[in-house]
Amino acid sequence: MPKVKMPRSTPALDMTPMVDLAFLLVTFFMLTSSFRAPEPVLVDPPTSTTDVLIPKQVFLATIDEKGRVFIDITNNNVKIKVLKKLLKSRKLSAMSEEDLKKFAGVGPIGISVKELATFMEMESNERTAYSESAKGIPYDTAESKIGQCELYEWALETRLEAHNDYKEREEEAKLKNMEFDKSNYIQFAIKADGKAPYKVVQSIINVLREAKVKNFQMITGLESSPTK
Amino acid sequence: MAELSSGGDGGKGGKKRAKKQSTRVDMTPLVDLAFLLLTFFVLTSTFSKPKVLRMIFPEKLKDPINQKAPEVKNGLTILLVENNRIFYYNGALDKTTVLLETDYTKDGIRKVLIERNAAMIKQLFEYQKELEKIPTADTAGKNKVLAKVKEAQRKSTLNVIVKTDDKASYRNMIDMMDELLITQVAKYYPVDEGFMALEKTLVQSKIKS
Repeated sequence: MPKVKMPRSTPALDMTPMVDLAFLLVTFFMLTSSFRAPEPVLVDPPTSTTDVLIPKQVFLATIDEKGRVFIDITNNNVKIKVLKKLLKSRKLSAMSEEDLKKFAGVGPIGISVKELATFMEMESNERTAYSESAKGIPYDTAESKIGQCELYEWALETRLEAHNDYKEREEEAKLKNMEFDKSNYIQFAIKADGKAPYKVVQSIINVLREAKVKNFQMITGLESSPTK
Repeated sequence: MAELSSGGDGGKGGKKRAKKQSTRVDMTPLVDLAFLLLTFFVLTSTFSKPKVLRMIFPEKLKDPINQKAPEVKNGLTILLVENNRIFYYNGALDKTTVLLETDYTKDGIRKVLIERNAAMIKQLFEYQKELEKIPTADTAGKNKVLAKVKEAQRKSTLNVIVKTDDKASYRNMIDMMDELLITQVAKYYPVDEGFMALEKTLVQSKIKS
């Protein structure tokens, strides 16, 4: 019997639809994703059932398990202004415009103002390592010293500058006859690790309260809402 | 193929036909790349923006010692302590106070709070139904109901006081605040002075037993 010869052919597959799909998804994710902000410390916040979104602009105090505080201000303009004021009140030499801009981009910081000058000279990877071993923004819990600690000054100046910034934008909107987004006000958010003792978080809240901050946005993870 | 024809081609005069070539492109590398990018974006993107739990703290009192203690009726004091344990007692603190223990589960503190706040929850539920009936365009009607909700919250008689000791974690506090939100407690007060002496001894004896 003669052998039946199968025609040899490569198993080609039409991949066009797959490519289409893949690129569609890529585009989707590219357009919808917002990147995670760089974080010097990993913090695992507790969960809650609220569905209130985080405000657009925040003064964010990140508190890790050991009670170190890292702060960030999402509005670069305000961030630079606040730093300038702090350098002045601490009688430190002013930073160059370039360094100030760089400072606005480095994300959360957890070092004292004194160290900032050397901090800005570092390469970005050195900076991350430095941040990881940093002590956090210094703060004091003793009644008489709260008003002098750096965390207090950061909070107070941010609160004042936030108000100025809001007024400025309101006027600008008025001049240009545009609608003004009233919700866009810098608010104070706290992102603390669930394992951190509440007492530590409380003492940090107390420092901010001393700076006349009343509203706190406690950042939490998502938890499914209970059915009643 | 990219070959140069030599010219003297036997002189047959016939037209040379270009070989038909398939227009297929090997797409495998393209797919590889596409999926690589896809994986990258899937892994790095954050889908849900973080949510926030609002906490409002009053301005600090200038003279905390000379303040009159508020008269608390229908009070419930919750003490958060180490190892995720909760103790609570009703009303004012005195020598006859008995501490009760509960936990953070659904049948724990939530049940306690729901029982205490049942009237309020029922009323708010009715307002909620009323709200749903009103058409979306009718903002005045909605505001009317919302004002009623506010009034009910203002009149609420249940006062929950939350105290923490040194070892309670931040998660405990947030869980507690969340439970208060879930159970619609309108008046709650996180106290930062810590436990009173009698509370301390009561908690200590409970922990030991």
